[in-house]
Amino acid sequence: MNLQCESMEPRVIDDNLLKLVVAKQGPREEAGQLAKQEGILFKDVLSLQLDFQNILQIDNLWQFENLRKLQLDNNVIERIVGLENLTQLIWLDLSFNNIETIEGLNTLVNLEDLSLSNNRISKIDSLDALVKLQVLLLDNNEIFNMMNIIYLRQFKDLRTLGLSGNPISESEDYKMFVCAYLPDLVYLDYRRISDLTKEMAKMKHQYSIDELKQRETLIQAQKEEAQAQREKLESHKAAFIEHLDGSFLFDSMYAEDVEGRKLSYLPGVGELLEAYKDKFVIICLNIFEYGLKQQEKRRVELDTFTECIQEAIQENQEQGKWKIAKFEEKHLLNLSAVRDESEMPVIEEKIVECGEDITQLFNILMTLEMQLVEQLEEMINLFERNIVDLVGLFIENVQSLMAQCRDLENHHHEKLLEISINTLEKIVKGEFNEDLPEDVRMLFVDKDTIVNAVGASHDIHLLKIDNREDELITRVNSWCTNLVDKIHTDEIMRNRKRVKEINHYIDHMQNELDNLEFTDNLF
Amino acid sequence: MEVLREKVEEEEEAEREERAERPLRPEKMTKLLPKETTTLTQEMLREMEKQLLEIEVPIPGEPLTKNSVDITKLPLSYKINTPKEEQLLQVANNFSRQYSHLCPDRVPLLLYPLNECQVPKFVSTTIRPTLMPYPDLYNWDGCAQFVSDFLTMVPLPDPLKPPTDLYSSTTVLKYQKGNCFDFSTLLCSMLIGSGYDAYCVNGYASLDLCLMDLTREVCPLTVKIKEIVPEKEKAPPKKYAIKPPRDLSSRFEHEQETKKQEEMKAAEEKRLRDEEERLLEAEKVAPDSLHGLRVHSWVLVLSGKREVPESFFIDPFTARSYSTKDEHFLGIESLWNHKNYWVNMQDCWNGCKDLVFDLGDPVRWEFLLLGTDKPHLMMSEEDEDGLNDDDDDVENLGKEDEEKNFDMPHSWVEQIEISPEAFETRCPNGEKVIQYKKAKLEKWAPYLNSKGLVCRLTTYEDLECTKICEIKEWYQNREDMLELRHVNKTTGLNIDYFKPGHPQALRVHSYKSMLPENDRTMEFYESARVDGLIKREETSTTMTEYFQGRPDFLSYRHVKFGPRVKKIPLNNAEANPRPLVKIIEQFCRNPAKPADEDVAERVFLIMDERIQLRYHCRDDYITASKREFLRRTEVDSKGNKIIMTSDMCISFEVEPMEHTKKLLYQYETMMHLKSEEKLSRHQAWESELEVLEILKLREEEEETHALTISIYDTKRNEKSKEYREAMERVMHEEHLRQMETQLDYLAPFLAQLPPGEKLTRWQAVHLKDECLSDFKQRLINKANLIQARFEKETQELQKKQQWYQENQVTLTSEDEDLYLSYCSQAMFRIRILEQRLNRHKELAPLKYLALEEKLYKDPRLTELLKVFA
Repeated sequence: MNLQCESMEPRVIDDNLLKLVVAKQGPREEAGQLAKQEGILFKDVLSLQLDFQNILQIDNLWQFENLRKLQLDNNVIERIVGLENLTQLIWLDLSFNNIETIEGLNTLVNLEDLSLSNNRISKIDSLDALVKLQVLLLDNNEIFNMMNIIYLRQFKDLRTLGLSGNPISESEDYKMFVCAYLPDLVYLDYRRISDLTKEMAKMKHQYSIDELKQRETLIQAQKEEAQAQREKLESHKAAFIEHLDGSFLFDSMYAEDVEGRKLSYLPGVGELLEAYKDKFVIICLNIFEYGLKQQEKRRVELDTFTECIQEAIQENQEQGKWKIAKFEEKHLLNLSAVRDESEMPVIEEKIVECGEDITQLFNILMTLEMQLVEQLEEMINLFERNIVDLVGLFIENVQSLMAQCRDLENHHHEKLLEISINTLEKIVKGEFNEDLPEDVRMLFVDKDTIVNAVGASHDIHLLKIDNREDELITRVNSWCTNLVDKIHTDEIMRNRKRVKEINHYIDHMQNELDNLEFTDNLF
Repeated sequence: MEVLREKVEEEEEAEREERAERPLRPEKMTKLLPKETTTLTQEMLREMEKQLLEIEVPIPGEPLTKNSVDITKLPLSYKINTPKEEQLLQVANNFSRQYSHLCPDRVPLLLYPLNECQVPKFVSTTIRPTLMPYPDLYNWDGCAQFVSDFLTMVPLPDPLKPPTDLYSSTTVLKYQKGNCFDFSTLLCSMLIGSGYDAYCVNGYASLDLCLMDLTREVCPLTVKIKEIVPEKEKAPPKKYAIKPPRDLSSRFEHEQETKKQEEMKAAEEKRLRDEEERLLEAEKVAPDSLHGLRVHSWVLVLSGKREVPESFFIDPFTARSYSTKDEHFLGIESLWNHKNYWVNMQDCWNGCKDLVFDLGDPVRWEFLLLGTDKPHLMMSEEDEDGLNDDDDDVENLGKEDEEKNFDMPHSWVEQIEISPEAFETRCPNGEKVIQYKKAKLEKWAPYLNSKGLVCRLTTYEDLECTKICEIKEWYQNREDMLELRHVNKTTGLNIDYFKPGHPQALRVHSYKSMLPENDRTMEFYESARVDGLIKREETSTTMTEYFQGRPDFLSYRHVKFGPRVKKIPLNNAEANPRPLVKIIEQFCRNPAKPADEDVAERVFLIMDERIQLRYHCRDDYITASKREFLRRTEVDSKGNKIIMTSDMCISFEVEPMEHTKKLLYQYETMMHLKSEEKLSRHQAWESELEVLEILKLREEEEETHALTISIYDTKRNEKSKEYREAMERVMHEEHLRQMETQLDYLAPFLAQLPPGEKLTRWQAVHLKDECLSDFKQRLINKANLIQARFEKETQELQKKQQWYQENQVTLTSEDEDLYLSYCSQAMFRIRILEQRLNRHKELAPLKYLALEEKLYKDPRLTELLKVFA
């Protein structure tokens, strides 16, 4: 009765309620006694039933990290909140509530079964995160727009759909429409869809579906293309030569160069620029290809290295396992012998022997580990040397190529200067009769101005080249140091882990032996 | 060969002396030979040839060796020679004469032995190339095996001379026996038929070969094929391969150790070698006094055709192939195929080792007919041969004159036919026994042996074949799919191999006794079993099972049984299973679970109430988690049952986790394990039952040893035979019925009329009436007949009844029984007759009307009757 009274007024999920429910729904009988004795942690609970509790607001559920099944049906919930932490949830029942919009489900990526029937939902959305959704029940809601069904096309695993009792389900075409647009659906409104229906639906909506598909595939293709583009750039970045497979660097040189652009109006400069660009781009391409080749070389080097290291570790592990297995075999025999023995001195002797065995095992394992550490260290150092050499070589070559770029720039600069001065002379002499924009003409007032302008352009270009070079070199170097550091730290971590493991194991064995002694002494 | 010939003539003592200088002699002989011949001029030769041609060749008549040969059914070509064959015989005779003149030291050639009809036939024409319709006989090994199996070997009447008669393959196949020449002629016919470049060889071979004595040969079935283990290519050491740890052991000690080991090894090897030599010594037989003189015939296959890479010999007796350099073959006189005949002009002092089989070389091989398909050598090469040159030219010239455009006549032998039955039965009476060195091979035709046995190989420990070492028996068409039974007599181990399809998916069953709870191993076709069992090994106290591809990843289960508790002696094994002591189960890694939760091995110590778990090892770890449960139920001081305490579960965890420390978790795990234990025990018990069942089934199968018959086997499959016969009968009946319906009811009346004339109307009407009245009469007759019979039966019955009434008192019970049975039978007959009569009465008018109708519709009468009607 009490519960009845309580349930009359709406309430919020609180700690007491949860404890009560968990205890009630926890293990039974003997296990229940144990559970009582120990108490149940919320995060160990896998399934929770909170129906008919007159709950108005969901709260305090964040501790149930491992919850798989949650029933919140037959309450008065109005908004879906407070479920963010339940990422392991597979089964969620929110039927017979007062929910109006679907929300707050974005973190429940593992959800397979969602029931939202008998609510007041008018639009299906905010379900994008539920990629594993198989069953979706939305009966007796207020969905009126057929287009909601197209939204469900993205759920590839959706097999069961409940939409009865909605305004759309009253439409004549409802069933056909759903079957046509969701061809993978097996059950609609708790009935199996027959093949015949599917076929008919498909025939009926052939054109619109084809159109839709066409659009979908287009979007898909675009996405893929963008993805491929991104991957390509990513791989170029890994080789530190991104944007060098074209005129990107050259263009960027002129992007901020106002004077350079102005000067390009001079007669003869256009051709000069063209030739310059061609040569420059060729060098860039050289750098690009060289970079890719070097990247491949580094990759192969790294792969062989990791492979060898893995092999060595594997072999070492095998040896360790074998030693342990052998030890255990012997140890078990010894222990059972100890148990069977009744003479005290013999027992003592045997136990001492066991202790010795354990120590010996410890020594063996540690020796193995130390041996491996030494071997690996040697190899890591060798690898470090090689990779640093490789990187050094790469930098050197790139620098020389960059130097070629600079030479080109210098050459271009000289030519440009020459043309400029010639033009200036012509203008001064009044022989220049071609049209020039006003701001370009402004440069040709005296020699200093024009020389400064050309020089500024040159400086900008050089700066760009230098920047690119610096960027490449710093990145390559940092990659190299990072890699080497990582290898070192990984090895140290591995070593520590192994030593810890061995110690843990030996401690356990020793403990066991001590316990045995202890119990023996007792009797 | 010349030398060999001499050996016969000379005394044995002389022979022994000569043996020392034997290698020298042949050369002398060959040199002498041409010198003698060169003294003849060409003219002389021609003259001689003319003279020779005039001489009629008397056909040597010799007594029949096989009087039993039935020649009455043989076709004419067997009994007479065509003119062409006659001509060939003359040519051959001429050749023979020249040959004996030129090579007086050599034995006469085998050219035209007598056939079964006592007609001389040239050897080449006895070869009848035939391609057999059986796919097995397409390759040379199949043909040779067939010939060797099919025919029984008869030794030559005179081991030192080629036979005087050579029968056709027809007769040889019919009587299934023959000498080496019959064998090789048949084999050669088959090989040439299937496209090989094969030749019959007349030559000399070792005693073993001539007498088909395989007792000094190792049986090919016992030779274990050496498995060639492909050596793994050692990958070149990678750039970053780790260096092995420094070796700190003493090199000197190591060297000393290896030295010592090597010495021991050498000693061991020497011992083994000595042993071997001793054995070899024992095996050696006394040298054959007629070595090199024994005539044998075999088949030569030359390389070139049918992708034969190298020329080789086939011994038709044993179907074995030998290299042309084999030491068993001691010389060749001549060889022939269906087209030509060649005489060996090479020296055979070294057996066949130095022979060159270039038949186009007239120096080495003297041919009988010109125009073979073997290309002649270039003239220049012939010139180089110098000495022989003139002589060959002379001979060749002579031949060319008379034999131009003369090619071998067609074979007189009928096409070789082997019936499918004979082909299947293979050996005479379907049985064959071959004795090998330390082994005996017995063969049976399929279905001959009621157990399905087709082959049995018995190997012995000693050369005298007294101690059986092991027996291998091959079976075919067994219903229980038994394929091979291997019995090892020394260890007492039986191994049965089964083909896929045994009801229990059995693959191999090795056992020492069929009694349960003994040492045995059963292997299964795991894909045919639901539980994925591969192998089950049993000893008297344990049972080990290996699994594969199970959804629960179980791979191994070892069950240890304790001694059976003797309670009630009445109970049998099934009712009183042995108590289980220990169950060990091992699991493969389940990739869906983390290693710490994936059990690798669990041990149920049932007697100790202890359960041990060992988990899989994580990828980069060397230790694995362990857990041990003690299943003691105890009561605490207050008398409450202790459900679970922390010391009931001892666990070692590689990475201690929080939730596993909880008692609840441990309790749940233990409960789960308890139920699992029950399940495992049940499965162990089921396995035991299955073993019993299999053993029972095996015994039953052994007793019934039923054979399966393919539905395509029309001869043996009784069911299909019955069905086919039934079908035939139905067809026959159908045919008869059709015949009946086609019976012309007007025929007898039409026959009375003059034939060929058109019927007049009157005639037609008359015909119709006559026919109808006749039919009516017949119906009446029939009715009368039935009536008469009916009356007769009734009368007899009445008589009998009367008799019974009179003698009722004196009758014995037997007589009474007799009487009663007679009565019931008589009553039955009477009733049937009555029924038939009634039926006849009913049907007769209908039949009459039907005939009338039919007559009206008869095309011959319609028109006339229509008008009349």
